[in-house]
Formats: sequence, structure tokens, C-alpha cells
Amino acid sequence: MELADPFEMTQPAVSRHLKVLEGAGLITRRVDGAKRPCRLDNRGIKAIEQWLAVMHKALARNYDRLDNVLADLQRATSKGEPP
Amino acid sequence: MSKMVLTTEGDRHVVVTRQFAASPELVYRAHTEPALIQKWLLGPDGWTMPVCINEAKPGGRIRYEWQDGKGSGFHLTGEYVELVPFSKIVHVERMHLPDPTPDNHVETRFDADARGTLMTMRMTLPNAQTRTAMLATGMEHGMEASYVRLEKIF
Repeated sequence: MELADPFEMTQPAVSRHLKVLEGAGLITRRVDGAKRPCRLDNRGIKAIEQWLAVMHKALARNYDRLDNVLADLQRATSKGEPP
Repeated sequence: MSKMVLTTEGDRHVVVTRQFAASPELVYRAHTEPALIQKWLLGPDGWTMPVCINEAKPGGRIRYEWQDGKGSGFHLTGEYVELVPFSKIVHVERMHLPDPTPDNHVETRFDADARGTLMTMRMTLPNAQTRTAMLATGMEHGMEASYVRLEKIF
């Protein structure tokens, strides 16, 4: 209710937005009588950050190996051998 | 040594850029010829790619099978959508973990620059379930060991 006040949006519409944020792990909601207080929750963001970090490492490792494959190919090409 | 940059684009994409000291033709070939792919597209230390099918033509099949040398592994299948030698590759891929993950649409560009090639790869950001399954493959383990091995070999 209070969250909807500053927006030119109906309260049910705001609820739908909150539901999406909750599903994405970006907020948590609890029941307090008739109220549904929201809290920011960074677990969703942390999970993506962790995946990006692991992905970064895996890809960087692959491309470092590719540097060496390309260097070998270039050496073979410059010697006139079939690479 | 050039540094790889990985960023997110909007809510649904990941963009990776990397510079290579080789012509776009060589970088493109290293992405499409199985004998070359098997030398570098391996992930963590100890993993190999015993099966590499790569039919580099529109509609052509992709199948990569990885093994960790300890009895575990997984595979990826895909299809080519568009190929422009030696500048652009568009393909779709999915991992089998063992259930297939949602399709990942990947566009890879190879642009000539002063030092060789600038590669730009744009792909779909996987959903939370897929990310969890990917992490469970053990992709993150052995990375430090890999760097040590790299120093030893080269």
C-alpha cells in the first residue's frame, strides 16, 4: 500500500511488480497483519555475480589456451607448412 | 596478454570481448575446425573433449562431449544458423546436464584490428536453474590448478 503511494499505478499493479522482484530473489516479503512489508534481498544479485565470475574464469582459461593454438597455427603458416 | 572483458547487456545477454594476435581467418578457423577446437575449448584442468562434431554450414550440427577424466562429463548440442567466413558465426546451443538447458543463441564476430582480431561474442544469459546446473558441473573447480598447469606447459 505505502509502496504504491508515490506511483501513478494501481495497487494491484504494484503488487504484480513486487511479485516479479520476489521471484527473482531481489526482495523478500513477510506477513505482518494486513501488511506485507518488503525488504531488499541481494541473494539474487549475488547468485548472478557468482555465475558471472565462474564463467569469466572458464572462458578466460579457454582463450588463453586459444592464444597458444593461434601462435602454433601462425608458426606453421609462416613456415609454409599446412597448418 | 590481452584481457577478456565479460559484461551483461540488459537483463538477458552476456557480451564477451577478447583480442587475439592472429588474423580473423585463423581465429574463425579455431572456432570451426574440430581438430583445433579440441585443443582449447576445454574448461577446467583435466577436462578433454573426446567427441567434437562441428559442421560449419547453415543448419550444420554441433556436438561437443567433455569428460573430466574421473568418469564424469556432459555434452552440448547445437546448430549453425549463419556463417560469414571469416567474420561472423551465429549458432544455437544447449547443454545436457543431463536435461537440456534452454537454447542459448550465440553470435560471434571477428573484426580485424591493428593487433589482429577483436572477437565479440554475445549470448543469452541463462536462467537461474540453468546457472545452478552449470555450476554443478564442477566448472569452477580446478581453475587455480589450471593456471599452474598453463605456466608449466608454456
